[in-house]
Amino acid sequence: MKVIQVKCPQCNSPIQSKVRDHLFYCTQCNTMHTRNGGIEKLDYEIGEFNQSAQGERLYMPFWRVYATLVVHSKDVEGGSLFKLTQWIKGASNTGNMFIYIPATELDNAGFRALSGRFTSNPPKYSTRLNFGNVNRLPATISKQEAANLADFVVVTMEAEQPGVLQRLNYTLTVNDTKLVFLPFVKGPQGMMPAL
Amino acid sequence: MADISVGLNCPTCGGAISIPEGDNVVPCQYCGSTLFIEGDQGVSTIAFNLKMQRDNAMGATQQWWRRGWKARDLPKMGKVTETYPIFLPFWKANTKVAGWICGYEERRHTDSKGNVRVERIPKEVMILQDYAYSEIACDPGDLGIRSLKNLTGETGFADFDMIPTFEATTSKDDAIVHAKNDAEARATASARVPNVTFKRLHVFPKSLTMIYYPVWVVRYSYHDRMYMSTVDAVTGQVLSGRAPGDPLFQSMAMTGGAVAGGLVAAGTIIASGAEYMNDGRLALVGVGIGIVILFLAYRFFRHGSERIEGDFKEKKTMKQALQQVQGVAKQLEGLR
Repeated sequence: MKVIQVKCPQCNSPIQSKVRDHLFYCTQCNTMHTRNGGIEKLDYEIGEFNQSAQGERLYMPFWRVYATLVVHSKDVEGGSLFKLTQWIKGASNTGNMFIYIPATELDNAGFRALSGRFTSNPPKYSTRLNFGNVNRLPATISKQEAANLADFVVVTMEAEQPGVLQRLNYTLTVNDTKLVFLPFVKGPQGMMPAL
Repeated sequence: MADISVGLNCPTCGGAISIPEGDNVVPCQYCGSTLFIEGDQGVSTIAFNLKMQRDNAMGATQQWWRRGWKARDLPKMGKVTETYPIFLPFWKANTKVAGWICGYEERRHTDSKGNVRVERIPKEVMILQDYAYSEIACDPGDLGIRSLKNLTGETGFADFDMIPTFEATTSKDDAIVHAKNDAEARATASARVPNVTFKRLHVFPKSLTMIYYPVWVVRYSYHDRMYMSTVDAVTGQVLSGRAPGDPLFQSMAMTGGAVAGGLVAAGTIIASGAEYMNDGRLALVGVGIGIVILFLAYRFFRHGSERIEGDFKEKKTMKQALQQVQGVAKQLEGLR
């Protein structure tokens, strides 16, 4: 077992950081990589800030999971059935969707709120090439974990609708997972999206 | 999450830094370098520092001799013959569980006319929780230690050239499977849904660490018979041990148990004779309680010649003993 200095797999520059971040970003060549089970360079997107957003700016990492959902059957007691198809593009019980998984450490309520909000209403944003001296929140959730958490988010969104979920027979197939950094501002009421 | 942090030096500037157990990324606070811990096959190995010295271990054992139902002359006649430290390997896994458990609970309501109505209460419970799990990574033999009790103390990355260790004999894959099963079982139990209709739990192994934990082994003699105890070399607590029992306590337990059990059984039989409406049920309950008292007294008598503390395989827990009593009670019910 050994302790090593993390260097960029693209340009070999040392990675500098003040926080415990599992995503390593090279400020020299803009390469992002991770080391869970081996070095993997990551493709990523950076969202542009809404220019009118007020407050301390920062970027929050998300895993955007592109998945195919097939709902075979469901059973809810005591309330109206929530239509999963509201998020699904296309057919009523089968379709593709983007599931947003916060990759940073959040409390349970924050995780549910952000994943539900962006999954049910996917954010629209223009992109930029670098972070422009804006701080990033550290990532703690890996790409592999995000795929499993996507499944959890799907069931959570169904369970949080009126009524009590009793059965949900479905299949979720993950097609692709991409890292996206969404702009946020920190104000008196906490962190708010700044899209 | 366990409160363990590991001390290390930055390979770039030599600064002393610490990293929480289970994590593998840390920024150097002195030079800003990002550091990554490369474990063997992804497993970090750390060791707790041995804090208690030989005299502390012997003292803890001698204090332990005075507690419980051990031989009264043990503090006087017991002689420590050998004391040595050993590092035991443990797997320590941190897991996260995310998922939902849905189902229902049934509640029975009885009205004044004796009609029973069953109310079905649907339930949905979200699980998003971290769990920690540990198990010993070797055959502990007769040491009586099977899991980590203490998770706080100074640690460092292990260098085992100079210290005696038990060799790890169980695989990391087995440890991960056990940790996942443990986390799922605990998450399911925490949901408190009696009748489950839908369950979807994802268990993420967040980290796996091999922890070497120091233990003092103290061997001692009592009337030419050999016994041993183990002492936590971090906290100074006695973890396990065997000690001689006391014949006086054994005979007192047997005599007292027989008298108490007999009195309870006889008392309820007499009371049952005066109560015509109970159909003999009171007597049966009394006899059952008397048998339980007698059984527990016999158990103390039977195993009282040697007092055993710790996680020994052959040692029956009180729960197992009570299950044995329940088995006897069921047989009695069958006879009735």
